[in-house]
Amino acid sequence: MPPRFEQADVTLDDVDAIFNESGDSRNLVVERREEGPVVPATMNAFELISTSQGLNLSSLFEKQMGLVKRETRFTSKCSANEIISKIEEAAMPLGFDVKKNNYKMKLLGEKTGRKGHLAVTTEIFQVAPSLCMVELRKSGGDTLEFHKFYNNLSTGLKDIVWKTTDEREVEEKNGSAAGSTSSQ
Amino acid sequence: MNSTNRNNSFLSSSLTMGERICSAFIPFVAVIDFLIYAMANCFECRPRHKKIRYGFTDLTRLSNETRFTVNEVEALYELFKKLSSSIIDDGLIHKEELRLALFQTPFGENLLLDRVFDLFDEKKNGVIEFEEFVRALNVFHPYAPIEAKIDFAFRLYDLRQTGFIEREEVKQMVVAILMESDMILSDDLLEAIIDQTFADADADKDGRINKEEWKAFVLRNPSVLKNMTLPHLKDITTLFPSFVHDTEVEDL
Repeated sequence: MPPRFEQADVTLDDVDAIFNESGDSRNLVVERREEGPVVPATMNAFELISTSQGLNLSSLFEKQMGLVKRETRFTSKCSANEIISKIEEAAMPLGFDVKKNNYKMKLLGEKTGRKGHLAVTTEIFQVAPSLCMVELRKSGGDTLEFHKFYNNLSTGLKDIVWKTTDEREVEEKNGSAAGSTSSQ
Repeated sequence: MNSTNRNNSFLSSSLTMGERICSAFIPFVAVIDFLIYAMANCFECRPRHKKIRYGFTDLTRLSNETRFTVNEVEALYELFKKLSSSIIDDGLIHKEELRLALFQTPFGENLLLDRVFDLFDEKKNGVIEFEEFVRALNVFHPYAPIEAKIDFAFRLYDLRQTGFIEREEVKQMVVAILMESDMILSDDLLEAIIDQTFADADADKDGRINKEEWKAFVLRNPSVLKNMTLPHLKDITTLFPSFVHDTEVEDL
């Protein structure tokens, strides 16, 4: 059977273009969207449903082999712009360079880790008015370092995180409801 | 004299009337117990102390029926053995064992887990057998045709198997996934989420998504099927190595 290549889940063309070595700024990616307010990508009901733990069979393999997940998600009741600035605020003191493109961000660690620089891609989706889902994915570097980074980052994000499916979340559910709801 | 003594001893025994009646029943209970056990064998209700095992012929057959090589089927068997022995060691995956594997706890209810279990359990006998496990995972293989994934996902979300994904069903599933993170949204917000999705998916505006609409919707929004592909399946032999010499040794 001839080899078939998986389709990439996400296109990082626009984000990658920012890292384009070409010095000529006129070569930067041309906005594919029409002029007008840019909004975060919407996440439809089925995309939301598919984030269920019951539907993510990859954990059958990961848990059994002690593999660690390469992505994490949380929801927020804040606006997408607020989320972006909060992430930026929290990531920079941790030694991360932040590049933004619409509602995708690329965080690049300044330090060299076990497998090179840690690179994290963040994407914000609009699930409903006043409800966003934020996905953080490791796009380079060591997975364990990614988890350490996220642990540190989440302290800085306490104000915007509403709920997280992160298993390592230690906060009491009762306590976190009061503590993490941001002022609207 | 002896007989009267015996009769007297029976009547004046220290047992209460109740205990005497019970002891009289013991032989009958023993007979009934034996009959039940004997009959149980006819209905295959025997206690599952006998573990189901698979041999080389079964593994080869499964390999021929799916896109997995024999080595890959063997590797899947290693995974299956781990999952199916986690609570009840009977060579079958029970719902609690699947729940344990996916949620790290055998307790609780989850609508989406129920759906996955149901789709894996082709025979609908309440357990996932190894063949069912392999055939279902076949659909999740990175090289499986997209039509198979589209079809599986449609049946997954068609909760009541009416041939349509109804609005109510989508609402139920959205509520279920939000509950995983203890999120409860207002009805208005829920309706807004579903309105948006149906505006995109429900072409004929009949309040439900049929097979054709689903296909078109998925092709416009490929990330809907993201969880229908398990890249790990390509590397299954490295994740779950099984040694070749074991193949011949497995009993049938």
